[in-house]
Amino acid sequence: MKQGYTRRELVQLVGFGALAPFAAKAHAEPARHPGRVGVAKLPPPANGRPLEPAAARAALEAALGAATGLGFGRDAIAALFRAGDTVGIKVNSLGGRNLTPRTELVDALAALLREIGVPAQRIIVFDRSTRELQRAGYAIRRDGGGYLCYGIDNDYESEPSTSGEIGSCFARLVSTTCTALVSFGVVKDHDLSGVSAGLKNLYGLIHNPNKYHDHNCDPYVADVLNHPWVRDKLRLVVLDGVTAQCHGGPAWRPDTVWPLGAVATSTDPVAADAWAWRVIDEERKRRGLPTLADAKRPPRFLATAAAYGLGVGDPSAIREVLA
Amino acid sequence: MSGTLSRRALVTAACAGAAAALLPKTAGATSPPRVGEVVTGDDLPAREASWYKKLPESRVECQLCPRGCQVADAERGGCGVRENRGGTYYTLVHSLACSVHLDPIEKKPFFHVLPGAQALSFATAGCNVECKFCQNWEISQFRPEQVRSQYLPPETLAEIARSNGVRLLSATYSEPVVFWEYVRDAAIAGRRVGVRSTVVSNGYAQEQALKDVLPLLAAMKVDLKAFTERFYRELVRGELKPVLKALEIIKASGTWLEIVVLLIPGQNDSEQEVRDLARWVKANLGTEVPVHLTRFHPTYRLTNLPPTPIPTLERAWQVAKAEGLAFVYLGNVPGHPGENTTCPGCGTQLIHRVGFQVLDNVLSRGACPQCKRAIPGVWS
Repeated sequence: MKQGYTRRELVQLVGFGALAPFAAKAHAEPARHPGRVGVAKLPPPANGRPLEPAAARAALEAALGAATGLGFGRDAIAALFRAGDTVGIKVNSLGGRNLTPRTELVDALAALLREIGVPAQRIIVFDRSTRELQRAGYAIRRDGGGYLCYGIDNDYESEPSTSGEIGSCFARLVSTTCTALVSFGVVKDHDLSGVSAGLKNLYGLIHNPNKYHDHNCDPYVADVLNHPWVRDKLRLVVLDGVTAQCHGGPAWRPDTVWPLGAVATSTDPVAADAWAWRVIDEERKRRGLPTLADAKRPPRFLATAAAYGLGVGDPSAIREVLA
Repeated sequence: MSGTLSRRALVTAACAGAAAALLPKTAGATSPPRVGEVVTGDDLPAREASWYKKLPESRVECQLCPRGCQVADAERGGCGVRENRGGTYYTLVHSLACSVHLDPIEKKPFFHVLPGAQALSFATAGCNVECKFCQNWEISQFRPEQVRSQYLPPETLAEIARSNGVRLLSATYSEPVVFWEYVRDAAIAGRRVGVRSTVVSNGYAQEQALKDVLPLLAAMKVDLKAFTERFYRELVRGELKPVLKALEIIKASGTWLEIVVLLIPGQNDSEQEVRDLARWVKANLGTEVPVHLTRFHPTYRLTNLPPTPIPTLERAWQVAKAEGLAFVYLGNVPGHPGENTTCPGCGTQLIHRVGFQVLDNVLSRGACPQCKRAIPGVWS
């Protein structure tokens, strides 16, 4: 056993020792930034062409940097995920090819995860069904490629689990397979919940979402988020707002889509939706439509989620940080 | 892929297998999906629903149950089995049976319908409420693509029954109201071959939908879950008032009606509530409607309560009889005297049952052999 240390070795040891508790804490509880939503510009390409991958990556990195206060997207990802994580990226593909997170943005997020050491086999892009993903333009992969991509299909826990008012069988991807989650939604109006962005997207984690649409989906959306499998694993929300929809959701409706030209990210899932509410209402006002509250479908679940301590639900209280 | 089957998968697979064994040999390849074909996943045959209206902006309003779901394009109603596709509402469960069994009619329970008869019982996925004590939640609380179903058109169901000497069809297990078109068409198909239809339902249906199908049914059993709105709100996610209205509609239609009340400890089993319920039945439906008071067993989301104590059931039995109801039964207590049918006129035991078995039936042309009092029901 070594009996003595050089001054440099001693400094290193002390330094590691002093930092170790913080490092452990950082891994156990990834940094959260309540109320902060990072937004980067990403205009839609002309003529409905796909996004340039480089532009998608740059915008995503910029938004991540703005959301976390870290200069680079990779640093933000490194602060939120570990190389040992199995990361589930829940996309919302209900809207088909025209209203689903663009694959270029999802590719960029998966690349960032790989760059911090998460193997491609442990990055799983998923939604309720393989069929819906295919219809939305995703390539189904159960092996190989930059990430896996498939539907939950019927792989749920065999017994229901209760959280507040909901009693649901959760996808085993969420309960068992994944150690970390990303909700990757779009920015759109919803006929009942008001907003369908990062939180309503989580309905795709349970087997019986149709049971929970009363009263503007409140408190049910918040109850899904507050389930330990979700609350403790959800590290990040990403919203594809390149184009957004202000009315007529959740299905795609071309006359109510507008070029928002943005990508938004947040470590506060409630704030991300509050931001979506704000931009949707701004567009509705521009078009002479009643606000979501006036249309009797305010996203009430945001206040409930905030009351649960899950984030900032008041659109006027969030901090939009432009990249 | 999992190497083992979940309990739900096992149950539905067994049901599908049982139905396949009963299929007549002529059933085979027709149009896709083939008759008897197992349907899973997203490839659900959709048929336009019969009870809905179109709303502006491609929305629809379901007119099947009191929820009256207003459904946007690409969304489903609360039952999970009806979907708006571009402003047209579709049922996704017509002819998609996830459970098919031959059951004694006493299992429904019907105690005044062809005692000892077998009923070809069928169900699809889905329900319009969410009872926290649902015994069949593994099919009722799932969407059709989440359960294993078999394509059994109404004519096939009727033919299975006829060719096996079964006199009754019974829509049951989950909630027939959510597959009401299938119920209707099966009843029509059954009539053509001399097979009568029964329905076991929560009675949570809109008036017109009920009235459209009731004339096709021989009998309907309604689960009256409790006699308080609180219970319906907190444990059922429904409402009491429309169910009471449905009971009146069924009674007035002339279709034979029986009522089941599952007594749950501390929730709906007080003497006062049973008394109120019995008085309402007497005042609005008459004294001759059979009322089954059945024993709760913990399940689904209500596993923190014990089974209903037998003395509680017996007290409720006495209370309901004391209020003047002529036919009060106890259920889920095999061997209890409360399972038997007794003549309200002279006290003669008319039908002796143990569980779902009829051990003795001395009814004579629907009447007591001793005092000749007519006993209401469907006896022949």
